[in-house]
Amino acid sequence: MLRARVFAPARDPLWSAVAAVLAALLVSFVAIAASGRNPAAGFGDLVTGALGGPGPLGETAIKSAVLILTGLSVAVAFTVGLFNIGAEGQLIWGGLAAAVVGRLEIPGVLLASLLAAALAGALWGLLPALLKVRRGVHEVISTILLNWVAIHLVHGWLVAGPLAAPGSGASVSVAGTEPIATAAWLPRLLPGSRLDAGFPLALAIAASVWFLLTRTRRGFEWRAVGAGREAAHACGIPDARRVCEAMALSGALAGVAGALLILGTEHKYPGVFRTGYGFDGIAVALVGGGTAAGTVVAGIFFGALRAGATRLQLQGIHPSFAELIQGIAVLLVAAPRIFQPLWARLRGPSDAPAASAPPIPTVQP
Amino acid sequence: MNAILDFAPPLVLAALGGVLSERAGVVNIGLEGMMRFGAFAAVAGAIFSGSPWVGLLCGALAGAAAAAVHALLSLRFRADQVVSGVALNLVALGLVTYLLQSVFGSAGVSPPSPSLPRDGFGHNALAYAALVVPVVFHLWLTRTAAGLRVRAVGEHPRAAATLGVRVLSLRAFCVLGSGVLAGLGGAALSVGILGQFDSRMPAGQGFMALAAMVFGRWTPLGAAGAAFFFAAADALQRQLSFSLHAADLRLDGVFLALPYALTLLVLALGIGRTRAPAADGVPYDPEGR
Repeated sequence: MLRARVFAPARDPLWSAVAAVLAALLVSFVAIAASGRNPAAGFGDLVTGALGGPGPLGETAIKSAVLILTGLSVAVAFTVGLFNIGAEGQLIWGGLAAAVVGRLEIPGVLLASLLAAALAGALWGLLPALLKVRRGVHEVISTILLNWVAIHLVHGWLVAGPLAAPGSGASVSVAGTEPIATAAWLPRLLPGSRLDAGFPLALAIAASVWFLLTRTRRGFEWRAVGAGREAAHACGIPDARRVCEAMALSGALAGVAGALLILGTEHKYPGVFRTGYGFDGIAVALVGGGTAAGTVVAGIFFGALRAGATRLQLQGIHPSFAELIQGIAVLLVAAPRIFQPLWARLRGPSDAPAASAPPIPTVQP
Repeated sequence: MNAILDFAPPLVLAALGGVLSERAGVVNIGLEGMMRFGAFAAVAGAIFSGSPWVGLLCGALAGAAAAAVHALLSLRFRADQVVSGVALNLVALGLVTYLLQSVFGSAGVSPPSPSLPRDGFGHNALAYAALVVPVVFHLWLTRTAAGLRVRAVGEHPRAAATLGVRVLSLRAFCVLGSGVLAGLGGAALSVGILGQFDSRMPAGQGFMALAAMVFGRWTPLGAAGAAFFFAAADALQRQLSFSLHAADLRLDGVFLALPYALTLLVLALGIGRTRAPAADGVPYDPEGR
């Protein structure tokens, strides 16, 4: 039902997403020009910063991997009809679990850290699912609340207090947990860049999620629950159980995203760790149309945008410009009806009456 | 006590904004973004005009402008209201930082702005507004015909429409009003408390306002009461870390997490009748059945 509400009226979700992204780029192009700077040079820097050589490509890959995973987290929750706003909190617990387990001197510490992160994220994701099926608490509200519980507990207490590295004390810049063991670092793949094993891992996970959602019985049942819980229940699908499973996977994906940041680049849980990747995951999943493949494409695009935006400073433009482009794209994707007149015109006058008729709410697979 | 009255206005006003929008049936996750626009516009307006009052006006207008986008998307284009609100927050994050740097040349903080005058007790006008507005709002919502219409539109828009209420216009009005309140809440943060704009504003206050709204069961007095309670918890936390050297214990985070955890607990235990308006978040199609 949720999928129908979010995505349905767009008969061409792919083209709506592309049009939204292009329109967002156009708006930002005009915005740069209006502020008296050179938009062409700005976009040139954006592309160079994202794709120009091994260094920038590595940065793009690092950011894309995290965005793909948080995007998948939101997309998986979509399939059972839940809106997971809580990827940020799940990511934080996952990152903390990776930082704690990554310090242990055990064989296979890298794998253990990733699994611990998945488990921590899954538990934090399971909580709103249980509240939903047992107590009827709306998941949008509970996940927002849980985000802030996680942010304050981890950043304001655990990392600053019990888990802080001794002597990290007053200075925030060196604060955080003790560094993880080198054996727990994600291996770097390309000399001259920070590209690590996180990107191929994220792609492999995305492929597995695609297989699970579209090629297995469990995935079918999840989608059935998302299309209509009552109908699925009447068909004998244990709907409450399926909702909990999907939310646990959703949380696990966000948790692994947090682990990639800790094991790949930070190498400890830093004192200041406001990533926003969890919130960006919502944008990635929406622009990606809620499918695994779309999420990968949108994740790479927004990852490149984030990486390239750091170069925008050469033109005196703050990197937060990437967030602006992303926000506008989501605004436009959010309202597919904005583009309906455009599609109607493109299809020609013979089709126009059909397009202006009240749309039939369709449920997409 | 004084600290509570100082820190409560942003939360109280934004929480009331949430109540207004959601009682009319429009979910407003965008409170955080509206507060951010309001906080920035208030400082910009106050600096360029030299008057904090003009700043407040600018804050309210900026909040309303952001709300207009939410109303347009979710009412006219029937976008999902949660998505629309999330998108608004993302835009606010990027756009305000961009404007901050373009206008004041720094992406961190703005120059100090003129701040609101304080009375003999050290409070500014917004502190009193935080006390008065909830009562007025409560009376309006429960004792007037207009308030009844708002509640009807939030519970059963189809029934309200058959009685001649223009559902979409009324919802749009309430969303805009919600933006005004959230924008003022943001202004209370910047022009009212800090006297400048900080690029991290409102630092989750919009989401805490959302929690206060839920905690207060979607009623004006309840939401305002919850907002005061949360502000008190915040003030207590500051006091403790000041006097007890609780900073050594580093328990700030536990105190800060408390309002959210308590709200969750109230929801989970179903204490009282904690229920959102029946048509909250359901798009209304005038031609539908």
